[in-house]
Amino acid sequence: MSAFVEMKQISKVYPNGVVANKHVDFAVEKGEIHALVGENGAGKSTLMKILYGLEQPTHGEIWLRGQRVEIANPHRAIDLGIGMVHQNFMLVPSFTIAENIVLGSEPRKGRFLDRAQAIAITETLSKSYGLQVDPAARIESTPVGMRQRVEILKTLYRGADLLILDEPTAVLTPQETDELFLAVRKLVDQGKTVIFITHKLVEVKEISDRVTVMRHGEVTGRVATADVSEADIARMMVGRAVFLQIDKPPVRRGRVVAEVRNLGYVAETGRPMVRNVSFDVYAGEILGVAGVEGNGQTELVEVMTGLRPATTGEIRIDGKPVQGQSARRIRLSGVAHIPEDRLTNGVALDASIAENLAVDRYNRPPFTRQGILSPRAIQTQAVALMQQFDIRAAGSAAPMRSLSGGNMQKVIVAREFSAEPALLIAAQPTRGVDIGATEFVHTQLVAKRNEGKAVLLVSADLAEVMSLADRIAVMYKGEIVGILENGPHLTEEEIGLYMLGLKRDEGARGEGRGARGEGRRELSRPSRKFQPSRKIMQRRSQHR
Amino acid sequence: MTQNKTLIEAIRIVVVVLIALAIGFVITALVSKEPVAAYTALLTGPLPKISFENGFAITNINRFGNWMEESTTLILLGLAVAIVFKARQFSLGAEGQMLLGALATAVIALKLALPFPWHMILALAAAMAIGFLWGLLPGLLKAYLAVDEIVSTLMFNVIALQLFDLLLFNWLRDPTAGFVGTVPFPDSAVLPLAISGTRVSWMIFIMLAAVVIVWFLMERTPFGFELKMLGANRKFAEYGGINTKRVIALSMAVSGILAGLAGAHLSMGLLKRLTINLSPGLGFEGIVVALLARNDPRWVLVAGLFYGYLRTGAQIMERSSDVTREVVLIIQAIIILLITAEQLFPRFQQWWGARRNNEAAMERG
Amino acid sequence: MSFEVVLQSIFSAAFIATVIRVSTPLILPAMGGLISELGGAINIALEGVMLAAAFTGVIVSGFAPQWFPGAPEWVYALTGGVAGVLVGMAMGWMIAFFHLELKTDIILTGLAMNILAAGGTVFLMFSLTGDKGSTSTLDSAQLPAVQIPFVNTIPILGTLLNGENGAGYNIMSYIAFVLVAVIWVFLYRMPSGVHLRATGEMPEAAQSVGIDIRRTRYWALVASGFCAALGGLYLSMGYLSIFQANMTAGRGFIALAVVYLGNRNPIGTLIAALIFGTASALGTRLGTMAIPPQFVEMIPPVVTIAALVIYNIRRRARINAAARRFQEQAEAARP
Ligand SMILES: Nc1ncnc2c1ncn2[C@@H]1O[C@H](COP(=O)(O)OP(=O)(O)O)[C@@H](O)[C@H]1O
Ligand SMILES: [Mg+2]
Repeated sequence: MSAFVEMKQISKVYPNGVVANKHVDFAVEKGEIHALVGENGAGKSTLMKILYGLEQPTHGEIWLRGQRVEIANPHRAIDLGIGMVHQNFMLVPSFTIAENIVLGSEPRKGRFLDRAQAIAITETLSKSYGLQVDPAARIESTPVGMRQRVEILKTLYRGADLLILDEPTAVLTPQETDELFLAVRKLVDQGKTVIFITHKLVEVKEISDRVTVMRHGEVTGRVATADVSEADIARMMVGRAVFLQIDKPPVRRGRVVAEVRNLGYVAETGRPMVRNVSFDVYAGEILGVAGVEGNGQTELVEVMTGLRPATTGEIRIDGKPVQGQSARRIRLSGVAHIPEDRLTNGVALDASIAENLAVDRYNRPPFTRQGILSPRAIQTQAVALMQQFDIRAAGSAAPMRSLSGGNMQKVIVAREFSAEPALLIAAQPTRGVDIGATEFVHTQLVAKRNEGKAVLLVSADLAEVMSLADRIAVMYKGEIVGILENGPHLTEEEIGLYMLGLKRDEGARGEGRGARGEGRRELSRPSRKFQPSRKIMQRRSQHR
Repeated sequence: MTQNKTLIEAIRIVVVVLIALAIGFVITALVSKEPVAAYTALLTGPLPKISFENGFAITNINRFGNWMEESTTLILLGLAVAIVFKARQFSLGAEGQMLLGALATAVIALKLALPFPWHMILALAAAMAIGFLWGLLPGLLKAYLAVDEIVSTLMFNVIALQLFDLLLFNWLRDPTAGFVGTVPFPDSAVLPLAISGTRVSWMIFIMLAAVVIVWFLMERTPFGFELKMLGANRKFAEYGGINTKRVIALSMAVSGILAGLAGAHLSMGLLKRLTINLSPGLGFEGIVVALLARNDPRWVLVAGLFYGYLRTGAQIMERSSDVTREVVLIIQAIIILLITAEQLFPRFQQWWGARRNNEAAMERG
Repeated sequence: MSFEVVLQSIFSAAFIATVIRVSTPLILPAMGGLISELGGAINIALEGVMLAAAFTGVIVSGFAPQWFPGAPEWVYALTGGVAGVLVGMAMGWMIAFFHLELKTDIILTGLAMNILAAGGTVFLMFSLTGDKGSTSTLDSAQLPAVQIPFVNTIPILGTLLNGENGAGYNIMSYIAFVLVAVIWVFLYRMPSGVHLRATGEMPEAAQSVGIDIRRTRYWALVASGFCAALGGLYLSMGYLSIFQANMTAGRGFIALAVVYLGNRNPIGTLIAALIFGTASALGTRLGTMAIPPQFVEMIPPVVTIAALVIYNIRRRARINAAARRFQEQAEAARP
């Protein structure tokens, strides 16, 4: 039988040159729950935006119900019965829930809105699909779980047969997730088809009938969920050999470089994002921070680097308290930072490479002497760093914009490493960069550790954390729920329990267990895990 | 590659100016009986005439002088705008800062008795100080309270205008004059002439110094680096440790100094008194200069001379033909529209480039 | 002069009539500013649109008798008015075109429009009338005043409803108030108005449900030009009956501030415009009593800045309060 939706040989190149999808084949059967999984940046959202008409593919075709379709805009997609719930909610904050649900196709009384009808529609929909909402409440004052239900109702109101849910559980509590799953099953019972994007493997197993796995813009597997284990899917998702080759000498832990005590941070929305976090980072070790994204890692890093003010608690670098100080002061205390979102604050696209490399040091000799800035010194440094870090560009005066993602990341790494920090904070340091650059960054991080620097590695890529870190702190809902010694004994499943909030060490709130006692430990390479199994390889080749 | 880009950019600007001048000519031709003569006056009027018939002689030096006077004001305003635009702050406060700068010189000139040059220097300092303050206020509001600088600077302009009128009507006005204005400034508070037979004063040297200083500030000081990074990406600047709030406030304040000087030029150099309706809208004319110069102080000098030339030519055209000088405002508007229209020229180019990039990117994989 | 006299003259029906007259050319462009602002496309060119429309209205109505001789007076006024409105809408369209198609910065485009209007009006005025200051040589039409019948015999009500001279307010004043109501209904009760607000507040959301953002902004700017043009026409064909160079005198910029002071909704904007109008009327009135009018005219801009400051301080206070609550909870939870 022919598939309900078929996307054939889809490729997408963004205007900035990022290749988000490469010859992707994707098919969904009618009435199934199809999971689309992959690491961040794998290209899942892009593929779905193409299906929903928000982006146009550079190459490839879309077939729906056996017919070739052109989906020029979301309007067309809605007409075709496709609905999408976006990763970032697409709701108007000052509008009520009913207004949001009917937005774009409002019930009318003559030339006017029929507001009573909008509320009635909302209530009916809400009842028939078991998605509880308050029609008159404004979006800005409703909890996240309800916002998501509004998004789903929005697509149903528009008559969607095919629902695309882009990482719907990323922002939900476990209870809300359970409710969502119930609702999704109900939808399928009523004849809808659902594409469910996630990177949580437990969810894939729990909810989906079939699964498509993406990595670096390509499809790496397409299987029936029942036939595979979570570990199999993980292999297809991560499936890289590079991280196996990291050679780490045994950890030689030195002095305490960073001490974080009872740190708390409340976001502007009033939501507490970091709660009572305490840990130490020692010289000569890599402390990994694992966790599902959105559990406070971003805020923790930004508070530690002075980009956001801590609400409570203390941070000391080499014994000196730094909380509440400016980003510059904190940098001067010996903290360097590879930010998670390169384009937002890691680089200035319109400035030159040389200027990007000097943003944290332009006001010190040799760049500034007696208040006078020396462009030549900035230039000289750039040439040296570009050579040392193998940054490929037209020259040090070339604008940052002209670099590839991997080379941009190298510029950041070059700047932060050359700052000779005591503590290096690396947040998602390999996100969206190619294999070569990934390997480069990994080697550099380990080299810093071996030199006796303290490294805090925050990554949503569990494989990355497990292959690099000496200890792993797991964050869940703003808290550190466990600090685990890395080693052959530590399994992904074990960390997974912490990540999902199913397990926690009360001791973790104070300081990492075992961090003090065992001075040195030999760590062997975690070579067992993540070797692609023959079974998967075969299946993959069948699909090709 | 960057060299190449600069060249393309320069060509683009020249083409834009030529198109604008051409459109200006068409408009002139529509209303004028003698459009060619009018446009000739516009384009060649400000040049002094050099003749060798009865030995070497330069005539029409006053026209050349007008050109330099106009350009001096415009370059100061252009520098003011270039600084804030470089930092990507949309301050539109130059108008108010200029008015208050002129007002401050009048207060010092008329209410204090001091010998030259102290009187003049104090008046200039007062103009710069009030300009600084009038830029600093909206700058602080933007930096620390996130008050939109467009609205706040427009409001500060209104307040400045009212302050100007208030003091002029109630305190500084010469009741015996037939118009609303002050008595002439004492000589001790007037800028000495630089070229006799014109009104070109020492302000032209101050202006030249300002170009150098602003260039130096932008290119050779840490503050200039901060300004550039703030303009390129505020979040990045913050991440790098730059105190962006301070830079925002200071950029608007420093810009005010230059606008204040422009005001001082009007009162102490050109009018030698204060009058009502001191050149309304002039404060906005720095924008076209800064845009043409791409916020580079060296090019502000060139763009200011060019635009001053056009304005002077327009005045000559107005005197000698049936076309008013306001045609340059139309030309100016067209220049702004076309220069900021990024999509105008590169459309084809971009389409072509994007196709090639896509293919290359796919191959790279 | 005694204080009571001042008070008396302020709280008089005649004063209110003045306020309405002075506020009209702020309310109309402010409504234009509001529409484009809510659509997410700030229109800095209100000033220029007003000026251009004011000029067009006078010129077209002044020359109309040559084109259709012998027509009744109202035909000339109407022709002028329609022409002015069309020019305003065309300017709105041009801003939209340059901003949306050619990707210009909308603020610089707006400023360019202002410059174009300032230059273009004087340029054309001189070419057409030979005068650079005003069109006093041209006999242009005026938009009619609307007199409410029978009330003039009632002392205070007469002045209130029909102005000091009892001839009634200009039709534009009525249009201004009606426009506020119409815009309110449009924004909150009609689908396209709701789409407009969604486009401005959350363009991604609007786009994802199939609202055409580009088209919405196009006509938001055109509508903005329409409203601002009415304001300009009032100045040259109602308030006065000539065009003067730069006769808008910054009203377009003030209208923009009025939108912010009015918290970006029609009712608030109306109130804010009346505040500015009152200050201006008060200024004129006090001026006749040897109190500098500039003091009073300084009040609205100061109030506007203060309002923006207070808004941001309150936002910050809310955040701080949330942080404090969290802190207390954290302390309480700690052993
Ligand atoms: N609008 C865009 N412009 C340029 N690059 C983009 C855009 N959206 C996504 N990308 C890039 O495309 C890649 C794939 O992103 P995305 O599809 O969002 O991945 P996922 O949803 O799997 O996390 C990433 O490298 C991302 O940075
Ligand atoms: Mg995604």
